Amino acid sequence: MKELFPAKHVSGFVFSLILTGVALLVYFMDMSFAVGMTILVITAFAQATLQLVVFMHAGESSDKRSIYISVIYGIVIAILTVLGTLLAMIWGYV
Amino acid sequence: MQIDKTKPLEYSTEQGRLNILGFWIFIGAEVMLFATLFASYFTLVDRTGSGPSGSEIFELTPVLIETLLLLTSSFTIGLGVHAMRLGRTKAMLTFFIITLVLGLAFLGVEIYEFVHYVHVGAGLQTSAFTSILLTTLGTHGLHVTFGLFWGTMIVMQVMKRGLTPATANKSFIFSLYWHFLDVVWIFIFSFIYLKGMM
Amino acid sequence: MEFFERFAIPHPSPAIYASMVAIALTTIAVVVGLTYFKKWGYLWREWLTTVDHKKIGIMYMISALLMLFRGGADALMMRAQTAVPENTLLDAQHYNEIFTTHGVVMIIFMAMAFIIALMNFVIPLQIGARDVAFPRLNALSFWLYFMGAMLLNISFVIGGSPSSGWTSYFPLAGNELSPSVGTNYYMLALQISGLGTLITGINFIVTILKMRAPGMTLMKMPMFTWAGLITNVIIVFAFPVLTVALAMGTMDRLFATNFFTTTDGGMDMLWANLFWVWGHPEVYILILPAFGIYSEIIPTFARRNLYGYTTMVVSMVVISLLSFVVWVHHFFTMGQGALVNSIFSITTMAIAVPTGIKIFNWLFTMWKGKIQFTVPMLYSLGFIPIFTIGGVTGVMLGMASADYQYHNTMFLVAHFHLVIIPGVVFAMIAGLTYWWPKMFGFMLNERIGKWGFWFIAGGTVLAFFPMFISGLDGQARRMYTYSEGTGFGIWNMLSFVGAIGLAIGFALLVYNIYYSTRYASRDIGDDPWNARSLEWATHNPVPEYNFAITPQVNSSEAFWDAKKRGHKLFKAGYKDIHMPNNSGIPFIMSVFFFIFGFAFIFSMWITVIVSLIAILACMTYRSFEKDDGYHITAEELKKAESELRGAK
Repeated sequence: MKELFPAKHVSGFVFSLILTGVALLVYFMDMSFAVGMTILVITAFAQATLQLVVFMHAGESSDKRSIYISVIYGIVIAILTVLGTLLAMIWGYV
Repeated sequence: MQIDKTKPLEYSTEQGRLNILGFWIFIGAEVMLFATLFASYFTLVDRTGSGPSGSEIFELTPVLIETLLLLTSSFTIGLGVHAMRLGRTKAMLTFFIITLVLGLAFLGVEIYEFVHYVHVGAGLQTSAFTSILLTTLGTHGLHVTFGLFWGTMIVMQVMKRGLTPATANKSFIFSLYWHFLDVVWIFIFSFIYLKGMM
Repeated sequence: MEFFERFAIPHPSPAIYASMVAIALTTIAVVVGLTYFKKWGYLWREWLTTVDHKKIGIMYMISALLMLFRGGADALMMRAQTAVPENTLLDAQHYNEIFTTHGVVMIIFMAMAFIIALMNFVIPLQIGARDVAFPRLNALSFWLYFMGAMLLNISFVIGGSPSSGWTSYFPLAGNELSPSVGTNYYMLALQISGLGTLITGINFIVTILKMRAPGMTLMKMPMFTWAGLITNVIIVFAFPVLTVALAMGTMDRLFATNFFTTTDGGMDMLWANLFWVWGHPEVYILILPAFGIYSEIIPTFARRNLYGYTTMVVSMVVISLLSFVVWVHHFFTMGQGALVNSIFSITTMAIAVPTGIKIFNWLFTMWKGKIQFTVPMLYSLGFIPIFTIGGVTGVMLGMASADYQYHNTMFLVAHFHLVIIPGVVFAMIAGLTYWWPKMFGFMLNERIGKWGFWFIAGGTVLAFFPMFISGLDGQARRMYTYSEGTGFGIWNMLSFVGAIGLAIGFALLVYNIYYSTRYASRDIGDDPWNARSLEWATHNPVPEYNFAITPQVNSSEAFWDAKKRGHKLFKAGYKDIHMPNNSGIPFIMSVFFFIFGFAFIFSMWITVIVSLIAILACMTYRSFEKDDGYHITAEELKKAESELRGAK
């Protein structure tokens, strides 16, 4: 039975629960928007990285370079798109 | 078909390795799909027209239940793939079925949540904010629904054919899909719900 | 009767009724012809169910040529309508429909199909692969594209064409201002064919990354393959944006959501924003394969290897990133502040740098070369000056403050046609001529080809240069007519003459295909151009297994090395080759997608649900199907190869 629950997976799961708990602080505690957003950005990206590396085994095969390039390229373009859209549609309006 | 015995079953054929890389690139595309939805959401979030705003309609309890269900299901499917690599077909199937049941429960809570929104006057057509909110959540929900359908077929195939390079490959790819849906949910949880209720 | 009323055309005219009759007659003729010549079985076995990348490439090419003529007919009507002031050939609504379908057909269904046609045919051969990574998905891509194209093309006889421009800006494209189903067609047709394109993107990235011949490292890939890789990366990350935008647009029109409306918080310019987040990378999706084609043709006919291989690659990678951060330059006049416009102005001008580097590389490749003026080379030579003029006017448009003057004038129309026509159309014809012997085993006639080139190049210059002047004089684009006092008449008449020149050029291309099919010599050997890259190391036309023996490669011009430097391409002996089986599922599934799209357009929800279930059933069938393909044995290979050699 024990071999079915490897330490890597279990600790990954516990860590993801902790990150969720930390993110919940922004709901339960009174803090400024900037601090809250910083916490959310950090916990969300940490969670995503955790899933990617621990559970999705992104780095296990010989294609890991292609896989990481593809995912990172996607994330970079995604962030640029979100920020660029906000810049053009909201922040940029004087 | 050449089978490379030194690698895990899902990587053991050339076609299997191609499938896995192809699916990773598909995930890259999905990142952009959800990024576009998020970009639109952030643009429209304050444009509530005559309808309610996020902080008026979000409820923490169902959202938290959904988050825990999906996080746990991501954990169990990870265990499923681990069991598969140990060659323990039964354990793997159990974990996969638990995953699908958790996914189904998630979907149930999400449907409850949608009904609630419509009930409090935040329907699809109410305002730009509610349109993009329900579309973003709905797109994720549709992905989960499709995942349930897909996962069921894979469980059936593993039951029927056992663990072969082909079925192991499909199961592994399905696990990638499921983990990815969890990642998307984390972003929805953080930047739609928690940011909205902050 | 009420049920059928929805299919009526809102703005009928004799031309549309004539088209209806023509479509009906053509369909009957095709069906009768296939039955009479007993070709249904052949069509099904050899084409509809094929998973061979070469045949799929040829089907893409035929579809692209058909769409070129559909879009070209639209263009001729537009130029004819505006040739003289106050013309009444077309009314305003008709003119709107025609410029809309012209844009959609040319970009999505002609140019995209043409680049994918050549990528399909050439890339697996250039990297020495048996096929693409996912042959069935490749067939699915084609059929989804084809069904999307057909869906848009029936709009003008069933329910009415879209008429809010190929950019389909809201609120014009909303229900209130575009009440006919035309814009629904636009949304669904693009959605379905876009899905096919996304699948192509994934397929080719995996193919290029994983299936190269031994010895071919990334920096030893032929330049067209490099261009294909970068293009498909852009496809994979740009097309999901279109998917979302189209889904939101569809929901606004059919489910009364409020994304792009002007009430309840909707934001019409968000559509423009999302459209161009996809739309600008799309421009580079079209142009990069063309750059790749020129990078193959110019070294071949200048008899020199490509100058600056590494800078070519680096500039494409830079373009692929920059192409995602320039999109706001399409709507500088929206009303955002100077800071935003400055940022996007700078990124726009920055992207001209890598493009300029490529132009210089081609010039240096030709420097001191022994240039042969074949048809593909003529197009490449014509491309450089015309494209440069189109490109530098683009930099003018990229300056935000100046753009307030040019925005939505004919100056812009001149700019993007002078980029896209030499960039894409010239490249496609050049590539078609260049790889034609690879596809069919004979060459296109050079004399007719050269006549065609002069008509097309001359026609392009004559049709679009006058628009710079009329645009600076203030002629707005998309106006169906103008008064005599504006003085635009002469420029538009010149454009019309140029358009006729282009039409003659394209007619010559078709005549050339007909003429060469009948009269050209079939005895051309395997290397008629004295070419350099790997695709020429197999037979003309290519056997279904591509290479009998997997080639060994040690440079980007492996075939040239084999010819001149004694490099041995084929070291091993014959081995069994694994081949995929044909499958009808991609075709059948795409037919259901067509039905799904059609029913969605007309809000026939029961049909929508039924066709969705059918699509899922196809996927289920595919998932449970056991299909391990078949093998061509070493014996059969040996026999086939000796016959191919003997036939020469």
